[in-house]
Amino acid sequence: MRSVSAAETAPTISPWAVQAEGLRVRVGRHLAVDGLDLSLGTGVHGLLGPNGAGKTTLMRALATVVKPADGRLQLLGQPVDGRGNLRLVRRGLGYLPQQFGFYPRFTVREFVEYLAWLKEMPGPAIPDAVQRAIDRVGLTEKADARMKTLSGGMLRRAGIAQAIVNSPEVVLLDEPTVGLDPEQRLDFRTLLRELGVDSCVLVSTHLVEDVVAACTDVILINRGKLVYQGTPDGLVAEGGPDDAGDSPAERGYSALLRRHRAEEVR
Amino acid sequence: MRWLTLYLRSRQAPLALILAAGCVALLWALWSAFSDDRDVDVPMVILTVLLTVATLTATLGGPDDALERTGSLPWLPRRAAHVLVAFAVVVLLVLVTQATGARFGPAWLVVRDAAGLSGLTALGAATVGVARSWFPPIAWTLASITVALPDKTWADVATWQVQPPGNRPAAITAGVLAAGGLLVYAVLGPTRRAPAEAAQ
Amino acid sequence: MTRVLRTELRRSSAGALFLVLLVAGVGLLYSAPDVWAYGWMPVAMAERQYLILLWPLALAAGAWQSRREQRSNVAELFASTSRPLPQRVAPTLAVMAVAAASGYLVVAATTVPWIAHSARYLPTAVFAVVAVGALSLVAAAWLGMAIGRLVPSPATAPVVAVAGIAVLLILTPPVLGGRTWLAAMLSPTRGIGLFSDFRTVSGRVSAAQALWLAGVAVTGTVLLAAGKRLTRVAALIPLLLGAGAALAVIPQGSAYVDSPIDRVAQQLVCAEGSPRVCVSRAHAGLLDVVTPRAREALRLLARLPDPPTSAVEDVNTFLDEHVQPYRADTVMFRIEIGGDGRLLNPDSFAMRMLYAGGMSEAPCPDGLDPAVSIAVAHWLMGEEPPAAAAEPDADIHSVWAGLHALPEQAAIDRVAAVRKAALACGDLAEALAGGTA
Repeated sequence: MRSVSAAETAPTISPWAVQAEGLRVRVGRHLAVDGLDLSLGTGVHGLLGPNGAGKTTLMRALATVVKPADGRLQLLGQPVDGRGNLRLVRRGLGYLPQQFGFYPRFTVREFVEYLAWLKEMPGPAIPDAVQRAIDRVGLTEKADARMKTLSGGMLRRAGIAQAIVNSPEVVLLDEPTVGLDPEQRLDFRTLLRELGVDSCVLVSTHLVEDVVAACTDVILINRGKLVYQGTPDGLVAEGGPDDAGDSPAERGYSALLRRHRAEEVR
Repeated sequence: MRWLTLYLRSRQAPLALILAAGCVALLWALWSAFSDDRDVDVPMVILTVLLTVATLTATLGGPDDALERTGSLPWLPRRAAHVLVAFAVVVLLVLVTQATGARFGPAWLVVRDAAGLSGLTALGAATVGVARSWFPPIAWTLASITVALPDKTWADVATWQVQPPGNRPAAITAGVLAAGGLLVYAVLGPTRRAPAEAAQ
Repeated sequence: MTRVLRTELRRSSAGALFLVLLVAGVGLLYSAPDVWAYGWMPVAMAERQYLILLWPLALAAGAWQSRREQRSNVAELFASTSRPLPQRVAPTLAVMAVAAASGYLVVAATTVPWIAHSARYLPTAVFAVVAVGALSLVAAAWLGMAIGRLVPSPATAPVVAVAGIAVLLILTPPVLGGRTWLAAMLSPTRGIGLFSDFRTVSGRVSAAQALWLAGVAVTGTVLLAAGKRLTRVAALIPLLLGAGAALAVIPQGSAYVDSPIDRVAQQLVCAEGSPRVCVSRAHAGLLDVVTPRAREALRLLARLPDPPTSAVEDVNTFLDEHVQPYRADTVMFRIEIGGDGRLLNPDSFAMRMLYAGGMSEAPCPDGLDPAVSIAVAHWLMGEEPPAAAAEPDADIHSVWAGLHALPEQAAIDRVAAVRKAALACGDLAEALAGGTA
């Protein structure tokens, strides 16, 4: 294998880690992401939206799994349309799919090591990085357990461990809190805040409170279009006393969606 | 070495290898037990090659090809190497019998069919998905064994697997399939559907 | 219930199975239509022979269906539902069976527009032969599903496909110790022969095949629906019952006749009017095409002394005792049908009837001198044979030229002598020369 040159690992100077203009992504014949403009820098960005809003498709496009049908998409300053250096982008990428395939014969450590290798981490650095990632998600004791013996929440955490093993500059986490118990969710929020200090983290979730508690930035999409981007406080401010929801943030979320739907009808 | 081991284990390659070797051993044992002829019947040789290719098919994809694709590793040479190694394994497993009392041959036919069928399987993995890629080689080969076509060039192409070793159109067809499959699979890789979709 | 089945149809691989059977079956049938285009029984038999491909494919489709069920992780969800396992697998079994059987039947049905214009004779045995074929595919699909469930591996489907064709190729009389009847009972591709237009399959053989296949099919369902190991062992019971019942029904040893002759198909059907022209019941659809040509031949023969007065299809088959005698007063002709279901070479039909002055060479062990035989036909027809330098055309032409040079009555005498010699399987050239003495 050829060694990785210093120039390739040097950080990219770009104001935005993720930049999309008029992004369209197709799922079959359906346009799941339909003309989205989005710019994300360092910090924790919470991606909200009702079921079928296009959250997972957007995540898959940002993770370079599916090619956009139309529009411009730049990751870490590189265009993602075949012209840019995709390899460089992927080295700085961490991705947790909504569902990931079982690697039934692997232990947690082997699974994370294998993905670290796929991300071309320098060999000698891998064992320490793997141990650190496993520690950070609280799976230290299960590190050498087989994947198939893990519970749903543990599997989720193993998935997060592989996403952060290469200290990525762009972290994409699709529904990471599913299956986590309340205590783990609090730990996870801490982890998110730590990651957000020097990476661009995009977290999709249904839980509005997670976003308010851990994110510096809120993105709300509906039917593949951007509805709102702003601070959690801004989201709270959108809600009125008559809107549905158990918390001020949820009321803000409902209000924004209600108005967006009304606009679409017109 | 560690990475190669992890890669192979993620594709369940050891299991597939044991299965392939087991199939060849079983057919070899059957022939040794029931026939006095040292040279195995050609249809049985073709079926052996087909079976060996089919058992190695599953290794063309991992449990989550979409997740693996987000890795920055240059996949193209590795995928090409995977197909070539699978082809070599098939040829080796079948031709090892040449040294024994039940010979699976002729060697050129084994090489030709293994190459063409490996290519066809790789082509299937890159287009219809790994889970279904066993079907085109199986259906085509079984049909070739069954059907009786006139002695024309197009018929030699259509039933290339069962043609005698010296047949040129058959050799060219196998070559095209082998090269095409290798190229398409190396460039595109296995279809990238999420695991839940891939099961459909 | 229909709603459940419709859902199942979309969920399962039944649609794929149907399509695969259709494409493979139609492809095989139409790769050689001359094998079956001469009647409904040949159609039924040809499709049965092609089970050598269709059967392994159905087996693999069944295994694939079970594999899919496991991969899609619905097993766990379904296991939590209150419906018992046998009831849950029933709809899947049903749609796979419908797909397998209807795929087989639709392939057979595609031949209807192809040969309906000429194929008239439709004995009930045809339906039995087709039904056994369809049943064999249902059994294959169900057995495949059971194997797929017992051995959950991505390699299961391809391996059972190859194993399936290997089993069918191996189940031959020599492997079974020369027991032709046992091969016919166990393998749906056996017990049929396509070498004559009058073959059939006896009802007892079809019944035995059906019983055995039903045993296999039920075993598959029990294996699939069995939750416990003990029930899986019990799945052998229907297999043994089916085999036992089939053994009781099938004629064994010398009592078994491999693809017997259908005497009803051989019965003659005659055209109205005279002279008398008859064809077999199997070829009754061609009577209108044959009659004018046969009467033309009879008219040309009427110039001879003691001419034949009727023309009848020769229904005697190879290795069959001759049910029809060969006589001087009857011209015997063979009917050959092309891949389109029509009479093969209709333009030369009358000419072929005139070979050797209207005498068949079928009863003659060494045949008849072809040059004289064909030259005589050309003279009767009043057509000059092609003049070629190469054998045998050169011979034919010289014999014809000899006849042509003679006065009318002398030539008629020689042809009559050739006819007489042909009836006794004698030397035609000698008879032709002897006529001059």
